[in-house]
Amino acid sequence: MKVTKIFDANHQWFMFGRDPEKPESIIDTNQYMVVSDERALLMDPGGIEVFAPMLGAILHHAKVDQITDLFASHQDPDIISSLGLWDQALPHAVLHAPWLWEGFLRHFGMNNIQYDGIPDEGSSINLGGVELEFIPAHYLHASGNYHVYDPKAKILMSGDVGAALEATEAPVFVEDFDEHIPKMKMFHQRWMPSNRAKNDWISRVRKLDIEYMAPQHGRIFKGDDVQCFLDWFEQLEVGTAIS
Amino acid sequence: MSADTHNNEDKLVALASIAAELHSVMNVAWGVSLAAKNAKVISAQAGDKGLGFQPITDFIDEISQLAIKGVNDINESAMRLSKIAVDEQRSYDAYKRFDSVRKKHQGAAYIASMSSAMGRSENHMIDAFKEFKTSLNNLFALLEEMDEQMLSARAVASVSRIVTSDAAEFRSKLEVVANDLDNAAVFIKDKISDSYQHLDRVRSLTREQAL
Repeated sequence: MKVTKIFDANHQWFMFGRDPEKPESIIDTNQYMVVSDERALLMDPGGIEVFAPMLGAILHHAKVDQITDLFASHQDPDIISSLGLWDQALPHAVLHAPWLWEGFLRHFGMNNIQYDGIPDEGSSINLGGVELEFIPAHYLHASGNYHVYDPKAKILMSGDVGAALEATEAPVFVEDFDEHIPKMKMFHQRWMPSNRAKNDWISRVRKLDIEYMAPQHGRIFKGDDVQCFLDWFEQLEVGTAIS
Repeated sequence: MSADTHNNEDKLVALASIAAELHSVMNVAWGVSLAAKNAKVISAQAGDKGLGFQPITDFIDEISQLAIKGVNDINESAMRLSKIAVDEQRSYDAYKRFDSVRKKHQGAAYIASMSSAMGRSENHMIDAFKEFKTSLNNLFALLEEMDEQMLSARAVASVSRIVTSDAAEFRSKLEVVANDLDNAAVFIKDKISDSYQHLDRVRSLTREQAL
């Protein structure tokens, strides 16, 4: 699995993905990890299929016991169906996830990890001195959905917002925004159900200082491309399956 | 314990089959219980002619209650075994993946930090395996107990037929009860025999796993 360090100062952000050994029939996913002091947060740690390559990749950068926190933006299998395995690897960890999905997520098998239900309005945690905010993104696409914002690193982990469907060998960063649009258009039109929810999220996110917007599929937006994405998303009609 | 010979999926199917076999037993046992209550009424109506049959009706009722309890206990035990098998499978899945990480990422800076997680999964797997074997023996004992009860039920049915010969005009009604009891006991014994076969399969898969 490919590992890209996207921020490196007093704390670090890593992106894991583009796994060449992944079965072709499953969607490629990006997993993220923030390491700060003796703690680490794994974000959208992925499905059962990517558990072993993910753990292997992590062990080059952090100890198992260092992973004290997990975050699931929502309940989908590509986000967190590995929960039952993490539960055995990290029995003392805390899972931060939408309160709405607790009873559903426990179906993946959670006997040891502690569940921290994020309230509708969002919340924050202090991870080894770094403040991380859970930003509401409800209905984008799940009915209980959050993103993670790091004001120090100016990174927004944006879950399925900004996602693109493309090959595992695709570059990590968006290089040409206009060229990238066709790869993400259908995804947003079909998976995002509500224009109202979309606009609510855009107005919230425009207030944040973002240098990197890091989605769970596809490429990371950096610098001006973040604003390009917000402008493009704002004018996009979503929920198109209803004719 | 060999990790490559895990047959938990087959074990889960066999355990579910026991529950399915016994589902029909429950209905039959309830039927016998009802028949025993009817027999009590008939023997009361028969007065002196039904005197010999009256204590037998209590016995038939007791047997049906034991069969109902037996089915519940066996189902509970089979469910418990399924749960242990699922737990064991989960630990095995985790262990297998930890092991693949250990082999593939020997050069990783923090590979040693995984050893406690591996040890935990291994211990959990071993504990679950031991618990499974104990619970399996318990389930065999419950099936044996029920099998013996059905032998007693058949003996009671035979005695009932003899006793009803003195019941004059109530004889045919009481004979029906005796025959129902016998048929029920034969049916339940058949189901227990099928359950034994499923359980033997579980036992043989467990032995393979232990090798």
